[in-house]
Amino acid sequence: MSNALRTLSKRLPSLASTAMLLLLAGLATACDEAHPRDAYAHPAADASEISAWFYNMYMVLDTIIFVGVLAAFFIALIKYRKKPGDNTLPEQSFGDPRLEIAWTIVPTLVVLGITVPTLGGLFELAKRPDQNQKIIDIEVTGKQWWWELDYKKEHINTGNEMHVEVGTQVMLHLTSADVIHAWWVPRLSGKRDATPGRSYPLNFRPKEVGSFDGQCAELCGASHALMGIRIIVHPKDGPDSYENWVKHTQEIAAKPTTPAAEAGQKVFMGKGCVACHSISGVSELAVGARSRTSGPNLTHVGSRDYIAAHTLKNTPENIATWVKNPQAVKPGALMTNLGLTDQEAKDVAAFLTSLK
Amino acid sequence: MSAHADTLTHDSHEAHGHGALSENNFLGLPNIKLAMWAFLGSECMFFGSLIGTYFFYHGNSLSGPLPKDVFSIGITSISTFLLLMSSVTMALGVDAMRQQKPMKARTFILLTAALGACFVGFQVVEFHEFYTEKHLVFAGPNASLFGSTFYTMTGFHGTHVTVGVIWLLIMSVLITKKKLVPGKEAVNVEVMGLYWHFVDIVWIVIFTFVYLLEFLK
Amino acid sequence: MASIADFAAAQKPIYHQERPSKTGLMDWLTTVDHKKIGILYGGAGLFWLLIGGLEALLFRIQLAKPDQHIFIGDTYNGLVTMHATTMVFLAVMPMIAGFSNYFVPLMIGARDVAFPRMNAFSWWTFFAGSLTINASLLFCGAFPAAGWTGYAPLTTKEFSGMPIDFWWAGLTLLAVSSMVAGVNFVVTILNLRAPGMTLMRVPVLTWMMLVIQFLLAFSFPPVAVGLILLAFDRTFGTVFYSTGMGGDPHLWQHLFWLFGHPEVYVLILPSMGIVSEILPVFTRRPLFGHHAVIFSGVFIGFVGFGVWGHHMFTAGMGPIADAAFASTTAIVAIPTGVKIFNWIGTMYNSKMTFPTAMLFAISFIPMFTLGGLSGMMHASPPLDLQQHDTYFVVAHFHYVLVGGALQGLFAGFYFYMPKISGKMLNETLGKIHFWVFLIGFNVTFFPMHMLGNHGMPRRIYTYPADAGWNTENLLATGGVFLMAGATLLFVYNLITSLKNGKDAGSDPWDANTLEWMTSSPPPVHNFDFTPVVLSERPLWDHKYTPGMEIPVPEQAEEIHMPSPSWKPMWVSASAGLIIVGLLTFSGIAGIPGWPLCIVGALGVIFSVYAWVTEPV
Repeated sequence: MSNALRTLSKRLPSLASTAMLLLLAGLATACDEAHPRDAYAHPAADASEISAWFYNMYMVLDTIIFVGVLAAFFIALIKYRKKPGDNTLPEQSFGDPRLEIAWTIVPTLVVLGITVPTLGGLFELAKRPDQNQKIIDIEVTGKQWWWELDYKKEHINTGNEMHVEVGTQVMLHLTSADVIHAWWVPRLSGKRDATPGRSYPLNFRPKEVGSFDGQCAELCGASHALMGIRIIVHPKDGPDSYENWVKHTQEIAAKPTTPAAEAGQKVFMGKGCVACHSISGVSELAVGARSRTSGPNLTHVGSRDYIAAHTLKNTPENIATWVKNPQAVKPGALMTNLGLTDQEAKDVAAFLTSLK
Repeated sequence: MSAHADTLTHDSHEAHGHGALSENNFLGLPNIKLAMWAFLGSECMFFGSLIGTYFFYHGNSLSGPLPKDVFSIGITSISTFLLLMSSVTMALGVDAMRQQKPMKARTFILLTAALGACFVGFQVVEFHEFYTEKHLVFAGPNASLFGSTFYTMTGFHGTHVTVGVIWLLIMSVLITKKKLVPGKEAVNVEVMGLYWHFVDIVWIVIFTFVYLLEFLK
Repeated sequence: MASIADFAAAQKPIYHQERPSKTGLMDWLTTVDHKKIGILYGGAGLFWLLIGGLEALLFRIQLAKPDQHIFIGDTYNGLVTMHATTMVFLAVMPMIAGFSNYFVPLMIGARDVAFPRMNAFSWWTFFAGSLTINASLLFCGAFPAAGWTGYAPLTTKEFSGMPIDFWWAGLTLLAVSSMVAGVNFVVTILNLRAPGMTLMRVPVLTWMMLVIQFLLAFSFPPVAVGLILLAFDRTFGTVFYSTGMGGDPHLWQHLFWLFGHPEVYVLILPSMGIVSEILPVFTRRPLFGHHAVIFSGVFIGFVGFGVWGHHMFTAGMGPIADAAFASTTAIVAIPTGVKIFNWIGTMYNSKMTFPTAMLFAISFIPMFTLGGLSGMMHASPPLDLQQHDTYFVVAHFHYVLVGGALQGLFAGFYFYMPKISGKMLNETLGKIHFWVFLIGFNVTFFPMHMLGNHGMPRRIYTYPADAGWNTENLLATGGVFLMAGATLLFVYNLITSLKNGKDAGSDPWDANTLEWMTSSPPPVHNFDFTPVVLSERPLWDHKYTPGMEIPVPEQAEEIHMPSPSWKPMWVSASAGLIIVGLLTFSGIAGIPGWPLCIVGALGVIFSVYAWVTEPV
């Protein structure tokens, strides 16, 4: 037994190298996976490009330093072993002042060298955008566990899925209604805390059309993991343009056309959903009403990609599951379980899906 | 805190009364004194954080009375004066102990304790007046940020004075019982003095920056 | 060549006061012996290391695949919170306290710490605190779940339940314990050094311990204030963290990180010290640039108080504050680099041997370097805005704290256990432990860099299958099992060595410093005579440099060792009562807790008086 162990322990260095190779192989397969949230390989806005530039700069610098340190380390490790039978002492040197000074000054210069661009990038990111251009101003309020998005100028109030325009400056004003959250959509910008009682700005200018996912990045309670974000960057022209989205979203909700949807509207109004959720044209007259207490404005919920803050795909079945027992989908969810029957849940789902 | 501070008094016996552990005394400074300096450094961070909190929140209160509405400089000046005087008597006590006059030292120590107790008394009266007449509330539904920070900061200072008073009383009992005698143990009184002067200085900072600065303009 | 066998011939010291030779439970409860307290700390640290590791294992199982439902919501958050709280406060810190208790007096040639009973008080207060934090599982059926950073207002009564009360109560006790220990050891190291041991002859490990004791004494008060304010908010209804009343959530973050960053250096500096002690022994050369290593450690300690804001780059402090903290943080790279270069410098022109202690010590160097280099990235706000609170940061601080701090402590165990128990650890098991742990550690944490780069935030209990995080998460979970296995093997090795280990003798490694001149385990009084120190390597010079032998006095020394005492435990228990009283202030099941505060306060006064008047 102990002999076997001893043999094993002799082989460990080679076993270890094999394991490391396996690790690298594993990571290589990982590279085959798509990485839709990689901020450094595919930045899609000016703010994230600045971060990506710093990442690449540091990767080069760190690789040089690490390879240098490793080389010095392994050369020493291989060259300066005690030979069997050699019992003489090595040279007793206490250090070399010239070396000491050199390897204090060199890191100092490196640190100075990277601090200058760092401060530059920092102030660049903090710059207030030019107010004479078109700016999409959005007030973002983090809530347990979803995001309220309020377009003041456009009179649009929505949740979780933010629509912006490519090439146009976006200015977010982040705040929170309860605990601290953090807004983070990696490919568009770095994160910024949404702090109760305070409002902090976050600016970026998207450069690519598409959908970009992110999520809350500050522990905010039981369902912190399920507080997703999607930003949809629209083209400037065409049927899918930002202007068209604004126009469509400013309209009041469509009237239900199917019997199921009509029944669903009755459930929505009668069972208490309306206590927290607004639907322009159904529960209120005004367009873009701010959400009541805790629930998102559902005026155009049918056109969203996801429900429950990026937790479930927006399908009638998922909506029915969600409204029947929210806590089973999202631990600690603040949406009340109204005890809907299967039929009621299906009707509500039909109604909400019809709100395109 | 009291546990912490008082342990210092006694462990000095271990360091000075007998042999062994005092053999190595590298800095030529008694252990107990060095410990008190380190402890006071720690206390600086403690009160620094409390006073820092007060200023971090200064002017943030959304409700309740403002500092200018509640402070009455006259009364607080008197209690400040008493506390300053107690530093004088403390210094005289330390000096008497050093001059091998334990009974004289005990008198000054008791006097210091009395002045300290007066200061605490004034604080109790002040808190009572602020609460009942000026409606400055510490906690609960009517609390304000100013109330919470003010009472916490000055309350912790008052607690330190109270601990000091208890410590002084224990010390005078020990002197009476001849368990604390001049000579090597005089350093215990000296260390108590360090603590007392520190608490005094903290109050000078609070009085100047919290009370007086409100009336600067 | 002078031999250390000479020391055995020295006159045995004469006790002024005979100690009753008790063993067993009573002795451990009342001990004021720094060596026994060190063992208590070390044992507790190992125990909590296993618990903290188990917590990590559980939540890694949840994360092995996307969309799993094993530990969800606040159960998961509780595991994460307690993993971090346990590892930082209940595992690594007590292990450090264990080494510092056991070896600081031995390394400086002292018979005990400056205040032995205060030392016992620190231990019992730590013990009470560690139980209090974990007691929430017993009384509430749940762990505190607001993260180890406990950001207000998530910790306020509005958003969290009773477990957070246990969290602040336990941490407050730990803060008191650490501050008292800090003061005690500052005095011990500065004042109890053996004759001739000038500051530049103090061993590097003791130096690092001195630095961290200052950090403990000066950095814990801010967080203590933060915790007290939280306790007042939750207990009395003050409004410190209530944003509705004008409170600012940044207050907690400032108070916490003003403690939190020095705390990080508290965790890493002792391991740097251990590496700096082990390298010279197994290279058989002096530490290269001994003074530079010491000064860089002191410098890191100082700078540690000026960098806390780099944890708040995303909080919105404004560009000026961000710029200031970015600059101070970058400076930390300089002394850290100096240390790494000096360790490698020590390896050159040497004749190295590689027992397990040495393996852990040298693997510290590349692993810590990797952690340091990723740390440099977050010092830069434009990049940190992306990396903050992601798995990249998780990878960073685990490279520093596991690859650095924990590997250093493992090295310390293999190196110092022979002194503590008198028995060698098994080298074969040790080497298996080392390699399996090293692989497991890298398999776990290296992929986390990628996870962070691919956009995975930390502290999320689940993730969608299409986010591109599947392979790395599975790898990381696999690695944890390797680490867990290796750690269990280590514990097995440690326990069996107590019985089956080879006898160590007083100086098994042919080492440099004073602790190796006394027997293993050392006698109660540590040294038969107080050594006179002539160089920074007193024992080495005694053995190898003619004319530098440590003189053995002809006269026996008269000594007095402090007696065992119950009083430290009484004071701790009374202080604990006050905290429990606050915790249950308004009552559980109709029984108000506030009278406990009064009982506790009276208990403190009474037991302190008993302490003061107790003959020693």
